[in-house]
Amino acid sequence: MTVTNSLSANINNFLHQKVSIAPLIIFRIIFGALLLFGALRFVSKGWVEQLYILPNYHFGYLGFEWVEKLPGNWMYLPFVLMILSSIFIIIGYYYRISATLFFLSFTYVELIDKSYYLNHYYFVSLMCFIMIWLPANRYFSLDATRNKTIEVSHIPQWTIRIIQFQLGVVYLFAGLAKINPDWLIEGQPLGTWLQAHHNIPIIGTFLQEKWMAVSFSWAGCIYDLLIVFFLLAAKTRKFAYFVVVVFHLITWLLFPIGVFPWVMIFSTLIFFSPQFHEKLLNRIQQLFKKNKQFIYSPSSETNFLPKRLVNSVLAVFILFQVLIPFRYALYPGNLYWTEEGYRFSWRVMLMHKEGHAVFYMKDIKTGRESEINNAKFLTRTQEDQMATQPDMILQYAQILKEYYNGQLLHYGDQQFLIENPSIHADIYVSLNNRLSQKFVDKRHDLTSFEYNLKHRTWLEPFKE
Amino acid sequence: MLRLISLLLVITVFISCRKEDEEETPDFNKSALLTNLSGEIILPAISQFAGDLSDLSASFDQFTADNSAANLAVTQESLKAAYLTWQTVKIFDFGPVRNNGIKGSIGTYPSDTAVIASNISSGSYNLSSIGNADAIGLSALDYLLFKQGALTSLTTDPNYTQYVADVIDKMVNEFSTVVSQWQTYKATFDASTGTSSTSAFSELVNEFNRDFELAKTAKVGIPLGKQSLGIQLPEYIEARYSGFSLEVLAESVRALQNLYNGIGFNSGTNGQGFDDYLIHLEKSALDGTIDTGFTAIMNKTNSFSNTFEQEMAVNVPELDELYSLLQGHVVHIKTDMTSSFGVLITYQDNDGD
Repeated sequence: MTVTNSLSANINNFLHQKVSIAPLIIFRIIFGALLLFGALRFVSKGWVEQLYILPNYHFGYLGFEWVEKLPGNWMYLPFVLMILSSIFIIIGYYYRISATLFFLSFTYVELIDKSYYLNHYYFVSLMCFIMIWLPANRYFSLDATRNKTIEVSHIPQWTIRIIQFQLGVVYLFAGLAKINPDWLIEGQPLGTWLQAHHNIPIIGTFLQEKWMAVSFSWAGCIYDLLIVFFLLAAKTRKFAYFVVVVFHLITWLLFPIGVFPWVMIFSTLIFFSPQFHEKLLNRIQQLFKKNKQFIYSPSSETNFLPKRLVNSVLAVFILFQVLIPFRYALYPGNLYWTEEGYRFSWRVMLMHKEGHAVFYMKDIKTGRESEINNAKFLTRTQEDQMATQPDMILQYAQILKEYYNGQLLHYGDQQFLIENPSIHADIYVSLNNRLSQKFVDKRHDLTSFEYNLKHRTWLEPFKE
Repeated sequence: MLRLISLLLVITVFISCRKEDEEETPDFNKSALLTNLSGEIILPAISQFAGDLSDLSASFDQFTADNSAANLAVTQESLKAAYLTWQTVKIFDFGPVRNNGIKGSIGTYPSDTAVIASNISSGSYNLSSIGNADAIGLSALDYLLFKQGALTSLTTDPNYTQYVADVIDKMVNEFSTVVSQWQTYKATFDASTGTSSTSAFSELVNEFNRDFELAKTAKVGIPLGKQSLGIQLPEYIEARYSGFSLEVLAESVRALQNLYNGIGFNSGTNGQGFDDYLIHLEKSALDGTIDTGFTAIMNKTNSFSNTFEQEMAVNVPELDELYSLLQGHVVHIKTDMTSSFGVLITYQDNDGD
C-alpha cells in the first residue's frame, strides 16, 4: 500500500514538479518555424496541385475514407491555414487556437491519401496534437504580452517530458525495427540506395561496397536505439547532439527524405538543460530590445491543466504510442511483404519495394476481360505505392469496380453493358534487392475481399 | 558503451571486408555508361534520323517533279527507313526530345484520317495546333503514302501533295532543333549521374521502361483487344497502311535490347550498358534472363510471315503468345532491374516506401 502510494507520489512529483519554461518556449518557436518551412516548401514545389488537385482518385485510411479533398484550388486553403497558424504559433498569438488549427489542417491533408504517407508526417501530426495542450505561450509570446496574468516562468515538468518521450519513441522504435536480417546482415535496402551514389568523388567508391552498407546499417541501428539515452544524460549530451547533427545531415545528403532531418536536428534541442534554453531565450529577447532577463516568478497552481486529467490522458497516450508499433505481432507472415501493421510504427528506410501490377476487369456475363491502363486512374506515385501495398490494391479494385459498373462499352460495332464486374490482378513485387516474386494471383476477384484489419489470406506467400 | 559500439563496428567492417575480397566484381561507373550511350547510341541515332528525314524530303521532291510509281516507291522506302530509325530515337524522351515535344509530333499513332482528309480538302491548316496532333508525323505519312490510291491522290490533288510536303517539312524543321540541342546537352547528360528522379540516369531508366511498356501495350496489346474485352481494334495498328508493323515492333525491341547491352548504333560495338551495371551488382542471372527475354521476343516477332493485321485475322494464339512474352518481360526490367539500380521513379519525399 505504502509502496504504491509512494510510487504514485513519485510519479506525480515527476510529472508536476515545476521546471523552467524556457525549453518549451524555444521549442514553440523552432517547431513553429519548421512547420512554416514545411508548408511553404510543399506549396512552392507545386505538390498541392500535383498530389491533391490533379489526381482523380485518392486512397483514404481505413475508417477515414469519408475524408475528401476540397474541390479544385480550394485545396490551397488548408495550406494557407497552416502557413498562418504556424506564424501565429511562432509568435505565440492565439496560440492554442493556432496549434489546434495547424493540427486539424495538417492532419486533414494527410488523411486524404495514404499514397503520400511518411513517418515524419505522422510525427508532425502527433507533435502538433501534443502542442495544443502545452502552455507554450505563457512566456515571450504575444498572448503573454497582451495578457500579463498568464505569464509564468515555470511549468509542470510533463510538458517538456512528453516532447522528449515522443522523440524517444521515434528513435527507439526505428532502432528496434532495424533489428532484422535484411538490415543487419545483408545491409539492405541501404546497400541498394548507397551504391547508386557511386559517382560521388572519393567516397563514392566505398559507397558501393557491401561492408559500407552493413556498417551504415549497424551504425543507424545503434544510433536509433541509444541516442535518446545519451541525449538524456548531461555528461554525454553535447557529444550526442553532435552525432545527431552529423547523422541527420548524412541522411539529408544521401536520401530524398525532405524536411525530416531538420525536424529531428532542431527538435532534439529539447533535451538540453533549462540554462541552455534560458541563455538562448535571453539572446532572442535582446534581439527584440527587451532588456528583460529570464527570472523566476512563481505561478499559481490553478493556471495549469488539472493534475488528474493530465495523468490519465498521458497514461492513455503513452500506452497507445507504445502499443501501436507492436501491433504487427498480431499478424502472421513477413511484415515487409504483407505490410499488416506497418504504418505508424516508425519504420523508416527499411524497405525497397518495387512492384508491377496488371489489373483486369472481367465482364461476368460474357467472360471477357480487359486489361486496365492504370495511368488512366492513378498518378505515377499512386500507382507505384499501390502496386506493393495490399490495402491499396483492394481500394483500387473498388475504384475500378465502381467505375465500370453500369458502363456501356463500345468496341468496333459491338457493345457491352458491364454489370458487377469482377476485378483481378497479376502483381509481382521485388523486396530489398531480391528477385521479384508473385504478390497477387489473377485467380482472386479482389472486389470480393473486404478492406479491414483482418489478416489477408489472398496474398501469395513470401519465399526467402 | 561507446567503445563497445566502435568495437562492434570494426568487427562488422572486418568480417564484410574479408568476404568481399574473395569475390571481386567488375568496376562500373554510371558516368561511363551515360557517355557510352550518348556517344555511341543516342547521337548516332539522332543524326541518322535527321539524315533519314532529309532523304525522305529529297525523295518526295523528286516524286513531285516526276510523279512516277517508281519514285513513289523510293519515297515509301525512305519513310520506312525513318520509321525504323525512329524506334531508337523515341526511347530518349527527355532533354531536347521532350522539351521540343518531338515524341508527340513525330510518333503519335494512330492517325485521324478524317482530320487529314478535311485538312487536305480545305487546304488551310496549322499543323502545330492541338486539333492536328493526330494528323501529322510518321503515322500520317504512312496513311498518305501507302493508302489505297495514294498515287492517284498524289498525282491529281495538289492539296494532297502539299499536305505531304508540309508534314515532312514540319518533322525536318523540328528535328533539326533536337540535333543541335543534343550537341550541347550531351555534356549535361553524361555528368548527370545522381539519384534524383530528374537525373539523366533516372530518366534514361524510366524512359527505357516506359518505351518497352509502350511497345507492349500500343504496338501489340491494344490492336489485339487486350484493353477492349478481347475485341480487336485494327484501326489502332501502327503503320497499318504500309503493313510493316511487325518490322517496326522488331526494330523497337532490338533498339531496347541494344540500349540495354550498350551496343553502338553504328559501330555495333558492345560498350557499357545496363547489363554491365547488373553484373557489377552481382546479378548476372538476372542479366541473362533479360537478354534471353529480349531475344525470345525478337524471335517470336520475326516468326510471323504476314502483316500484323493479317495475322490478327488468322493467328491470334501466336500473337497472344508474343504478348505474354512482352508482359512477362516488363517484370524483369521494370521491377527487378530498376529496383536493383536504386532509381527513383517519383520526385516526392520518401522515407523508404
